[in-house]
Amino acid sequence: MRSHSFPELLGKEWRELLASRSYWLLLLMIGPLVGHAFITALNLYAEASGLGGGPAALPQGLTPLDGILAPTFGAYDLAATLFLPFVAIRLVSAEKQSGALKLLFQLPGSLATKVTAKGLVLMGGWLVSCLPGLLAVVLWKSYGGHLHGPETLNLVFGHFLRSMLSIGIAVGAAALTESAASAAIVTLAITVGSWALDFVAAGRGGLLQQLANYTPTAALRFFEQGLLRMNTTIVMLVVIVSMFALAAVWLNTGRPLRRQLLATLAVAAVLGMVMFGASGMRASWDLSENRRNSFPPADENALRQIQAPLHVTVILSPEDPRLTDFEQNVLKKLRRNLAHLNVDYTAGSQTGLFEGSDDHYGEIWYEMRGQKIMERSTIEPVVLEEIYKLAGVNAPAAAADNDFPGYPLAAGPKWAALIFYGLWPLATIFAWWFIRREGN
Amino acid sequence: MTALLTVEGITKYFNRRRVLDDVRFSVRRGEVLGLIGPNGSGKTTLFECLAGLMPANAGTLKADDKVLTSSQRKATLFYLPDGITPWAEQSVAWALSFFRKLYRRSAADASALVEPLRLEELMKARLGTLSKGERKRVLVALGLLTPHPLLMLDEPFDGLDLRQTRDAMSLLKAHATSGRTLMLSIHQLIDAGRVCDRLVLLSGGQVAGEGSLDELRTRAKLTEAGVEEIFLALT
Repeated sequence: MRSHSFPELLGKEWRELLASRSYWLLLLMIGPLVGHAFITALNLYAEASGLGGGPAALPQGLTPLDGILAPTFGAYDLAATLFLPFVAIRLVSAEKQSGALKLLFQLPGSLATKVTAKGLVLMGGWLVSCLPGLLAVVLWKSYGGHLHGPETLNLVFGHFLRSMLSIGIAVGAAALTESAASAAIVTLAITVGSWALDFVAAGRGGLLQQLANYTPTAALRFFEQGLLRMNTTIVMLVVIVSMFALAAVWLNTGRPLRRQLLATLAVAAVLGMVMFGASGMRASWDLSENRRNSFPPADENALRQIQAPLHVTVILSPEDPRLTDFEQNVLKKLRRNLAHLNVDYTAGSQTGLFEGSDDHYGEIWYEMRGQKIMERSTIEPVVLEEIYKLAGVNAPAAAADNDFPGYPLAAGPKWAALIFYGLWPLATIFAWWFIRREGN
Repeated sequence: MTALLTVEGITKYFNRRRVLDDVRFSVRRGEVLGLIGPNGSGKTTLFECLAGLMPANAGTLKADDKVLTSSQRKATLFYLPDGITPWAEQSVAWALSFFRKLYRRSAADASALVEPLRLEELMKARLGTLSKGERKRVLVALGLLTPHPLLMLDEPFDGLDLRQTRDAMSLLKAHATSGRTLMLSIHQLIDAGRVCDRLVLLSGGQVAGEGSLDELRTRAKLTEAGVEEIFLALT
């Protein structure tokens, strides 16, 4: 394409975004949403820190990531699910329905370039909507709150990927369907489907659980825990790019249906291969300040020396809190450190309430080189000890206690309500009025 | 005049219904070619197939005896559809400026279109608020800002009053005189006779005749007839 046309296309898409009422509604709503999440989180954090004379929780349990950042930015998950798709759909469907697409198709540049321009502008629009989140972070710092850069940036990166995923799915749906309403239904169906997959796959293991790791909610959970996983990041990026590629394929009305279907199959094949390849990637980085996703360094070194495959059979049902503990405290960390780990979930029921004693319910079996050990505990040191025994590795000396100090802060949300519930909506309405007036 | 493009055997089906049947004609450089036919004769479908907005089941578009690739086609012709309301929230001034900058046309090029198409009073209006005729004038201006050798306009005079139609015809004629080739789809046969150098008569998806008014008169054996009589005689 002629390079000079791309800035013009970007400018057009930006104007179209600013002309969209759905985008202004998103901006109007995001301030109070973020504000409510921030103020609620701050009040709870202050209570846990001993505000009001009550006993403070253990300081080590008070992390800004869990207590402030994850709940505050959780508003963006809600926005990415409920608002952002409609903004993205509008940017594509309006041109389809008005006939503008017929002109756009003929303008300089490929359709891929034009879809890229839409994607970049939607990304820019999302970044603008991040201002309330940034304001919350600034307020938190102004109250004397602590921030750990890597975990904060990781969380924002997770929300960026999650939002771009929403945008990609919505743009793909808008390109595939005839009307904005149909695109909204398709997008909603994908969202609900991903929730169902999340629910059904929990604690089941196998391919289903691997797939469920890439649903927007599950993928975001890793970032909220301070974990940056190579496979999650790659799969999310490839899904986003695939959705935009599908949009470029289906917006090209000049192509015969057969060619569009073939191109779709090719995109699906690439996506499938990437997901399959990513399932074998174990690289991940624990960016949380309290190293919640890691064993003590000495244990990690010992575990990385174990090359024999470890087979774990868990007889705990998906809704059993012990399974949640085991996943969070042990399996998640083992997956990061063991070269060959295979986990089977064999409980027959959903809750485990009515499992008979002869079903071995509650047992966790560890098998390595033909040797098997059974252990019911889901506590990290106990499990590690069993694994060292099986592997014939000397257990490292017990590490000193985690030196994470925790960051209690008994501060009230000063100015926050005024900013998020008053100034932000007013500023949004003024900006909308000003831009609309200037556009005339 | 030499042929700019040759359309060969364009055929299009919607499900099992054949809407274009082996359409063949040529477009000569610098002419105003009229594609005329009643509603449902396949004019818009033919335009969309030629512009690459819709796949044809058969047929080719050639220049200098070579089949045009999709990128060559995109560089050769621009099609302005009828009945569209693009970028409804944007102003007329922005739309003209967008096309002007996109195609690196001078401000004078754009200004030259404002008076004959009577766009002065519309410049600040949003495209979505324009009447059918006003929108048509803006779209014609956008089309004339494109640099493609061939500009295809679908019903360019639809919605225009008598004076506006005459002005638009003069403007199109002037552009053709300066070397641009125009292909117009027109269902008002009298308008077609006034503005077009040659005509392609389309009826039931087939070409019923192609040539200048005199050539068509000879073919229809109607020496003094107007376009309407010729069309009725040949279709």
